[in-house]
Amino acid sequence: MTRRACAACTAATVAATLVPLPFAAPAAAQVPAAEAEAPAQARGGEELPVVEHTLENGMRFLILPRDGAPTVSFVVHVAVGGVNEVLGSTGTAHLLEHMLFKGTTTVGTRDPAAEERLFARMDAAHDTLLGELARPQHDSLRAEHLRERIAALEDSARSFTVSNELDLIYSRNGARSLNASTSSEATTYYVELPANRAQLWFTLESDRMENPVFREFYAERDVVMEERRTRLEDSASGRLYEAHLATAFQVHPYGVPVIGYMSDLEVLTRGHVEEYYRRFYGPGNTVVAIVGNLDPETILEWADAYFAHLPPGETPPPVLAREPVQRGERQIEVVYDAQPELTIGWHIPDEFHPDMPAVGMLSSILTGGRSSRLYRRLVVDERLAATVSSSSGPGARYPQLFTIGATPRSPHTTGEVEAAIYDELDRLRRDPPDERELQRVRNQLEASRVRRLGSNLGLAFQLAGSASLYGDWRTTFQLAERYQAVQPEDIRRVVEAYFTRENRTVGTVVPVERAPAAPEEGDDDR
Amino acid sequence: MTGRPPPRLRVTALAALLLLLAALPAAAQTLPTGRDAAESLRFPRLEFTPVEAEQHRIEGVEVIFARDPALPLVNVFARFRGGYARMDRDFYAAATALPTLLRSGGTTTLTPDSVNALLDFHAIQLGFGTGGSSSVSSLNTLTEHLDAALELWTDILRNPRFDPDQVEVWRGQELERVLRREDNPTGLAFSEFNRLMYGDHTIGWEMAPADLEPERLTGDVLSLVHGEIFCRDHLILGVTGDVSWREIEPRLRAILAEWPACPRELPEPPPPDIRREAAVYLIPKALNQTTVVLAHPGGIRQEDSRDYYASRIGNSILGGGGFSSRLMARVRTERGYAYSASSLWTAPSESEGLIGAVTQTRAGSTVAAVRTILEVMQEMVDERPTREEVSDAIDEIVNGFVFNFEHRAQIVSRQMFYVAEDLPANWLELYVEGIQRVTPADVRRVFRRHLRPSDMTILLVGDLEAFDEPPESLGPLRILEPGAPVPPR
Repeated sequence: MTRRACAACTAATVAATLVPLPFAAPAAAQVPAAEAEAPAQARGGEELPVVEHTLENGMRFLILPRDGAPTVSFVVHVAVGGVNEVLGSTGTAHLLEHMLFKGTTTVGTRDPAAEERLFARMDAAHDTLLGELARPQHDSLRAEHLRERIAALEDSARSFTVSNELDLIYSRNGARSLNASTSSEATTYYVELPANRAQLWFTLESDRMENPVFREFYAERDVVMEERRTRLEDSASGRLYEAHLATAFQVHPYGVPVIGYMSDLEVLTRGHVEEYYRRFYGPGNTVVAIVGNLDPETILEWADAYFAHLPPGETPPPVLAREPVQRGERQIEVVYDAQPELTIGWHIPDEFHPDMPAVGMLSSILTGGRSSRLYRRLVVDERLAATVSSSSGPGARYPQLFTIGATPRSPHTTGEVEAAIYDELDRLRRDPPDERELQRVRNQLEASRVRRLGSNLGLAFQLAGSASLYGDWRTTFQLAERYQAVQPEDIRRVVEAYFTRENRTVGTVVPVERAPAAPEEGDDDR
Repeated sequence: MTGRPPPRLRVTALAALLLLLAALPAAAQTLPTGRDAAESLRFPRLEFTPVEAEQHRIEGVEVIFARDPALPLVNVFARFRGGYARMDRDFYAAATALPTLLRSGGTTTLTPDSVNALLDFHAIQLGFGTGGSSSVSSLNTLTEHLDAALELWTDILRNPRFDPDQVEVWRGQELERVLRREDNPTGLAFSEFNRLMYGDHTIGWEMAPADLEPERLTGDVLSLVHGEIFCRDHLILGVTGDVSWREIEPRLRAILAEWPACPRELPEPPPPDIRREAAVYLIPKALNQTTVVLAHPGGIRQEDSRDYYASRIGNSILGGGGFSSRLMARVRTERGYAYSASSLWTAPSESEGLIGAVTQTRAGSTVAAVRTILEVMQEMVDERPTREEVSDAIDEIVNGFVFNFEHRAQIVSRQMFYVAEDLPANWLELYVEGIQRVTPADVRRVFRRHLRPSDMTILLVGDLEAFDEPPESLGPLRILEPGAPVPPR
């Protein structure tokens, strides 16, 4: 879920967004000999000259100076996301991400006190509305009147507001890539600035962390509902994604959509979002990575001068829900006006488990490139499918799901594609990959490791994500060694252990006749 | 910073405070934050000399080069002047398929499997694509595999096998894409809008089963189209990465010396005859959200220099500038109608483009959202933008200028584009200079001259029954059937 709009966004890209550490993450230990004139960047990732600095309030900074054009990339990684929500208020983490672009007590306002007075009035009207809606046979006229009143009060408050001022200040300073994203277990804010304007980030972001004001709340909640319609509701892939996760995870919050259920979005309150912010956005839950053409000493001074005074904040409560072992195949159908799609998920461990490198290798063996086993069989040899892919997710901190998705090629059915996928997995049990097949995957991982070093923003994401997930920015670089050690027998073993009938959830999109039909009842909010 | 004294140290409160203060580095002083602090910052001048790419000529082929030893990687880019937009509709499928089939179809000496195995094993990345009037390919390899990668890449580009099985895989995938076209409402809206506005022009073409008949994709047809596009006279090359010119030059010379010349110059795409009709078209579909696309011919060409620069700034203020733009502020931030709302004002060099807007909104606010967009457009016609709006849009481009030089690959690709489009090598600098001269009066002038909100052709993809009010209130309503012939202009 990102705050920025993207004209071509589809649910498929949502699915990708929601998988923070896909199998592309690992790096390799074997590093090509650095050219004599090649600078430090060409060395192994874990040797990068990252300066680590932790403030007394627990906020961690990772600073990486690099040669190249004078630009600096900033990533703020907060270890909070959909898993930290409770039923009834799903979508809070993502709505909060949107609200944190609404400004502060000084940014985005002409008169914060006047705004606050109006917030109190519109929130009271909203509480009354919720009370009205909770009645068994509520008065729809009264509810409509209350909605109009809230909208009118928000319009009044707007006379004291400077909309989108945070964005405006960044833009006029030449910033690029200003955006944020929310996944099941992380919320990330990022921007790139010309190097001479790096101090601007500290001035604005310290303020954003300390003094946020959640103005234009009800209109923004509407915006998020529109985002949900675009990404999930008017998309067969989006609906399948949501239904499949909800079926596979019946206890763990990975089964709940990060963007939130529509009926929850309709009742989220400003107070609820503020409370969530206070609980989860402490400096101790935050890692900042700053990568680019910078002087680490200056950056360290600014880190202290702008963030050290912030109080440590609360320690977020841990997520203790544990998904029970699945005891039988589950199936889910989404009937929709679209062509068929297939998704199959198997429960696999969290990212820290020793089996995960083998599972990651398996993903590449199955669907990584044109030589991969499923691509060859489904797309080329038998032409049962137009596309096939695999991924893990929706998070990494907790036991997750390995998913294979495919679009059948007409007139072939999801059943035929499904059978062929199971047959290929059986073949892996009998006939594990040979050394050359594994080496192909290792070589690809090594090359992707080098390629990822090319982007400052990409590196900043990796440093912050690794430090937040594993406690050490080096770990994702070091995973390479674990991948190098995977043997054919490991692949066979993980297929045997996890890819069983009992452990899988099969989801399909089943086309309805292409005749006009009314939208499903309850889908529309007003 | 709020350091705590060690617990076992027994000192008075004052002494503790003094100790604490003494322990603090000078930099720990808290600095002011927020809007006033941000606006009072004074930044040092950006020390920055843009990297300039070298331009060479080998065997008549322009080669753009910029060394980049930062990583042990080499990128090579090829851009061919040719694609489906320069050919008859009979060759639409073949010219569209070519990039994929070059990659997947093997070479005269290597089977598709052998190509895949070599690429995968050496982790060589190849890219292929076409934008209609040109076709591109790129190679990215670890430096240690450069020779093997170059040999394989040029074999793929020059000696394709067009393996019939792979042609059939592509044909089947494309037929599937045609079948699934209506599954994505936004994609459907965009392609149908192009068809509506441009008719039987290459921009309006949409792949149909008739294009994909096997006889349109035989080996002979593909070879003919390949020979006309992927030939030496149409080629511009770019190289960047961990290799010197001295190292790469003889390799390129050997490759280009044997590259066949082009049989003929391919014609420019014909100028489009864009629909000019104030009307509302509806593609009925049971959806929660309506996709809205509206536009009329844009009136601006890149060579209309003064108006061109003003139109770039004007579009940024109207709806091209993200959250800072008026459409986003009104449609999304204020009204909460949409997750996204943006304007477009295309100004191609060869012909007229479009001016318009795009959004997606819940069915129950469809007409209200369109009205809001038209109101914002009318305001741009009626009043000049504020001085701040214009200077903010200019500052974004000028202050972010350095981002045009982040990667050598970006610099080389841009320079190749300038060569292909006959633009001066310093076009970027000229563009930024032109932008800086734009005034609020210029922006008003171009909007008054070119934007006519009441003349928009509006396309809605959505559920008519759930609309907030009949769309006839926006203009005469016509039903459009995807893929069916569009009404005459």
